[in-house]
Amino acid sequence: MDKNTDTASPAGRSENELRALLDAAVDAVIVIDHDGRIETFNRAAERLFGYRAAEVTGQTINALMPEPYRSSHDGYLQAYLRTGQAHIIGIGREVLAQRRDGTVFPASLAVGEVPGSTPPRFIGFIHDITSRKVAVEALRRERDRAQSYLDLAQVILLAVDQAGRIALINRKGCEILGYTETELIGRDWFEQCVPEGRRDDARARLQAFLRSTRTQPEYTEATVATRSGDVKLVAWREVLVRDEVGVPVGVLSSGEDVTEQRRAEQALTRSESLLRSAQAIARLGNFEVYFPSGPSFWSEQMYSILGANPADGPVPVEEFVARVTHPDDRERLQRELERAFNETGRLDLEFRIVRPDGSSREVHSLAQIQPSADGESLVINGTLHDITDRKLAEEELRQGQERLTHVGRLSTMGEMATGLAHEINQPLTAIATYAQAAVRMIDSTAGAEPAELREPLVQITNQALRAGEVIRRLRAFVKNRATRTETVDVNRLIEDLRVLAEPDARVNDVRLIVELGTALPAVSADPVQIQQVLLNLIRNAIDATLEAPEAPREIVVTSARSADGVEIAVIDRAGGIPPEIAVNLFNPFYTTKATGTGLGLAISRSIIRAHRGKLGHRPTPGGGTTFYFTLPPLPGG
Amino acid sequence: MKEKPATVFVVDDDDAVRTSLRLLLKSVGLPVETFASAQEFLDGFDAERAGCLVLDIRMPGMSGLELQQRLNEIHAIVPIVFITGHGDVPMAVEAMQHGAVDFIQKPFRDQDLIDRINQALEKDRDNRAGLKERDAIRRRMQQLTPREREVLDLVTQGKANKVIAGDLNVSQRTVEIHRARVMEKMGASSLAHLVRMVIEADRAT
Repeated sequence: MDKNTDTASPAGRSENELRALLDAAVDAVIVIDHDGRIETFNRAAERLFGYRAAEVTGQTINALMPEPYRSSHDGYLQAYLRTGQAHIIGIGREVLAQRRDGTVFPASLAVGEVPGSTPPRFIGFIHDITSRKVAVEALRRERDRAQSYLDLAQVILLAVDQAGRIALINRKGCEILGYTETELIGRDWFEQCVPEGRRDDARARLQAFLRSTRTQPEYTEATVATRSGDVKLVAWREVLVRDEVGVPVGVLSSGEDVTEQRRAEQALTRSESLLRSAQAIARLGNFEVYFPSGPSFWSEQMYSILGANPADGPVPVEEFVARVTHPDDRERLQRELERAFNETGRLDLEFRIVRPDGSSREVHSLAQIQPSADGESLVINGTLHDITDRKLAEEELRQGQERLTHVGRLSTMGEMATGLAHEINQPLTAIATYAQAAVRMIDSTAGAEPAELREPLVQITNQALRAGEVIRRLRAFVKNRATRTETVDVNRLIEDLRVLAEPDARVNDVRLIVELGTALPAVSADPVQIQQVLLNLIRNAIDATLEAPEAPREIVVTSARSADGVEIAVIDRAGGIPPEIAVNLFNPFYTTKATGTGLGLAISRSIIRAHRGKLGHRPTPGGGTTFYFTLPPLPGG
Repeated sequence: MKEKPATVFVVDDDDAVRTSLRLLLKSVGLPVETFASAQEFLDGFDAERAGCLVLDIRMPGMSGLELQQRLNEIHAIVPIVFITGHGDVPMAVEAMQHGAVDFIQKPFRDQDLIDRINQALEKDRDNRAGLKERDAIRRRMQQLTPREREVLDLVTQGKANKVIAGDLNVSQRTVEIHRARVMEKMGASSLAHLVRMVIEADRAT
């Protein structure tokens, strides 16, 4: 018996002990020679691979491998033997193995060279890792899913440890901060992502939070610095992360980038504040009032204009009409509101309101009316403008204009005084002469027949009336009066004016010719003001004629239908207007006359403009100047 | 040929004034003719007709002043009483400078107007009488020899015979003879009469 196989000998005992050891091992243990032939194949190997040891002993190890490992294995072994460079020896790796029935399973393989054997032999330990693989795979999938949740979240998810190092950050966080995950994980959060001036505070906050016993999330807003240097405002919701014994080990935060939101909020606040001050400056309030009821709104300025207390809130529409509106304007506002409600959908009205202290203001309201979203009520949306000051200014301007116009009339009259005195003197002369003739007839030796006295007496009456008429016209013309618009027949107006204009022409030895057009449209005008303009133009024409001794001493006044309505022209045959005078013609206080005020044409132009007409001049064919003005026809006339 | 009576010619563009004047003047028995414009009067003007002109100073077309000028140009001697308004004093002054008899402001007292018209008519009579005398004087002056004419001029300048003799380089006796012939031909009764006749003859128109 070979000593080596004697179990009682130390070597034989060792052999038996090794055998028992190998068979007791949980892992499969396989010993191969340098050709890859299996020498030893333990029980666990038999169980794992489904081969009897006897079946595989002497077979190459390749039989236990699926392709493509099977083909390449011989190469590995030869390479090791040649170069001593191990790809697997002493390292261990995961491999795929093949059972006798052909099934393949993942296995961990650890390979060692059996020491002291020449040629070398190798021992491999193989462990079926199928179940571990499944568990790991499940874990991996779980982790991926969690990560995808993190990444899906439209908030920053950030975990930092006690030292402030970044333990976790999701895709959104990376996106906002401008870094990749790997650039952030493990880095100091404060150094990396907090603006420099804020770092100490932020660190102190973290430490305080870690020391606290808070169990509830904490909310805070803090700035972060992005890779590009932008500073963003983030609203954080933070919770403490504790270990299994409850010691805080870090902080998990979810953060939302509220930079734009805050900016928008600030912009909104600012624009609201600007709107408020703009409304205050403009004395313009706006409102959104529901009728019959609803969540009505008045801007601050509404209360200010109406002298109302903001605490009382908006006044309902009916009450606004019945109490806030000036008594004289209530009916009008009510009517306009009804019209807006029922027909137009729009309100554009000036009216007066009365404040609680009894003072009244002029307001202008523009509004549109629409059904509310629920269709239950009407929404009146609009503005209320305090136009009291503007109205006062307009009124003052209007009065100033009227005073000036009046002064202009007086001034024109002054220039015409000689002619008018003459015009009154004529009938007075006739009256005196008729009366004295009558007296002489009575006193005559023959005595007068009463019938003979009839003619002088009738004439005296006529002449007294004639003088009275001149005075009446004159008074009407120079009287200080408010502008009064009426329907005017232009030809009639010109004829009426003759009484005033002709004497002036006559005393200056100028013939006044009137050529009236036919079928003229009626116009809407203040007759006295139009006469004033016409008289002023005639006056100027007379002066121009006097200054040109060679000129025909006649002035023609015409009326004619024009594209713009009616055109009235005053045509002289004098010297015309030099260009240097023409440019200043309508400037107030510009005059070429020794005693002129320079207001006549300026006033005339403003009068015609107020009538929506045009005042201008053009050369008279054959010499001289034609001044003309137009008056628009009556609407529908 | 029978002469028409002296007539008051009224020129005024104002119908009422014109008609009332006609009535007034007729009521005091003055023959009146009225004209509505200066041109109308001028068109019918007859220098031979005696009378006076009552003339409105302001009129459209030809004014009173212009009519006066035109009448002066044709050596008409009809005396003019101007009717003026209140503001027409400068024009009235001009009218007076051009030989108007007088002017009167409207409205006027009838007697004031009638007085001025009578004054003007009197002047017209004088003028016409004077015109006849002047014609006679001029005819007589035309009968003088050139030498006698020279003596007449010097005598009426107030020069003594001796001075005249020196001026004409003739004897004093010769001067005395010429002077006697002048007095005789002119029908002068005295030196003063002679002087007045010469002045009359020299008067324009």
